[in-house]
Amino acid sequence: MSVRYAILGLLAQHPRHGYELRNAFEAVVGGEQTWSVKPAQVYATLERLLEAGWIAEEMDPPDPHPDKRVYAILPEGQQALGEWFRSPVEPEHERDEFFVKLMISIVTGTVDPRRVIQVQRSYLYRQMHLATTRREGCNPHTELAQILLFDKTLMHLEADLRWLDITETRLEEVKHQPIPEPEIRPRGRPRKKE
Amino acid sequence: MSLIKVENLTKVYGKGATAVTALDHVNLSVAAGEFVAIMGPSGCGKSTLLHLLGGLDHATEGHVVINDASLDGLDDQKLTELRRRKIGFVFQFFNLIPVLTAAENVALPITLDGKGAKEARAKAEEWLKKVGLGDRMNARPDQLSGGQQQRVAVARALVAEPALILADEPTGNLDTRSSDDIAGLLRQVANEWGRSVVMVTHDPRIAAYADRIIFLKDGLVVDETRLSGSGDESTRAVKEKMETL
Repeated sequence: MSVRYAILGLLAQHPRHGYELRNAFEAVVGGEQTWSVKPAQVYATLERLLEAGWIAEEMDPPDPHPDKRVYAILPEGQQALGEWFRSPVEPEHERDEFFVKLMISIVTGTVDPRRVIQVQRSYLYRQMHLATTRREGCNPHTELAQILLFDKTLMHLEADLRWLDITETRLEEVKHQPIPEPEIRPRGRPRKKE
Repeated sequence: MSLIKVENLTKVYGKGATAVTALDHVNLSVAAGEFVAIMGPSGCGKSTLLHLLGGLDHATEGHVVINDASLDGLDDQKLTELRRRKIGFVFQFFNLIPVLTAAENVALPITLDGKGAKEARAKAEEWLKKVGLGDRMNARPDQLSGGQQQRVAVARALVAEPALILADEPTGNLDTRSSDDIAGLLRQVANEWGRSVVMVTHDPRIAAYADRIIFLKDGLVVDETRLSGSGDESTRAVKEKMETL
């Protein structure tokens, strides 16, 4: 996701400076440990939002110091934000690098696919331990939003781990099924008949 | 320092052609105050391992040393004594005595070991307070939720001040929220109260509370993963995961 709509939404809350937007965004996602944005990214996004006519600078002409400029949302921006709220977010479960790695490990036969699974499993458990630790460190009276985000992380990691278990038990079956090969088509000009 | 040391631990059930090897020369050690999860598919030997660690069963081959005491060749009487003083057990179905109150259930192991009623009661109350049940001392198990019953069971496991807690699927009979509570409590048992905890679980969410996971398969240790302590790398990993969500 680009941070564009998040920035737009934060400006819909009230007009803000660029640096303030960056802090507000990081507060929403649970701190820069979770998702950090660079100031340059915020200013570049603001540029694009200005060009699209979704936001405007509050002072006209603009303040000569970029970090003193205050931005506000325009009706066109409100409309775009409304469309964002009305549309679903596309999850990318099927474009999975680990799945591709596992399949390639099966076809090359140079590595035991079980080892590939175990390496991933260990890694996911370490992630899960850390998310659990950070979640436990959150105050439920003041940091509920962060707790919910960690819950989401934990649920996804748990699902990934369960999928690894299922896949491991069916590995032999997968190996016995031919991996689909692409159809080979002749390339270039057909050869002249002699 | 290792609290548990296991060498070449092997358990074979049956004889001859029908013999089944449940554990196959397993080596492992658990440090004092460490929380270890044992995971693996059904029938991988994880419960057998726990039973052997707890002296609930005899090994076919190999050694178990707990707190410098070898379990080799101990008769049932001696094993019972060791279990009562050095090891606390937590089970999937709590195993509380229904007609006794929470405090009476917790006091039971040390009462059986010869402690006076007053002293046992005081100790039971101390541990019930520590596990957050100071206000439910006189409730019977059927007056407590599943999560609370398991807290009572954890207090009971700790009352004799053992160095080791063995937990067999301690959250297997609990909802997600109570499971998290109990896993958090077991972590506290290890990290704050300095006991070693060895827990068998099939639940990834619960295993993630541990300091280390040992993976068993077909009676063999196939891998180990240290979860705690690798700070920066793990932080980055979680961050990456969250960004993809």
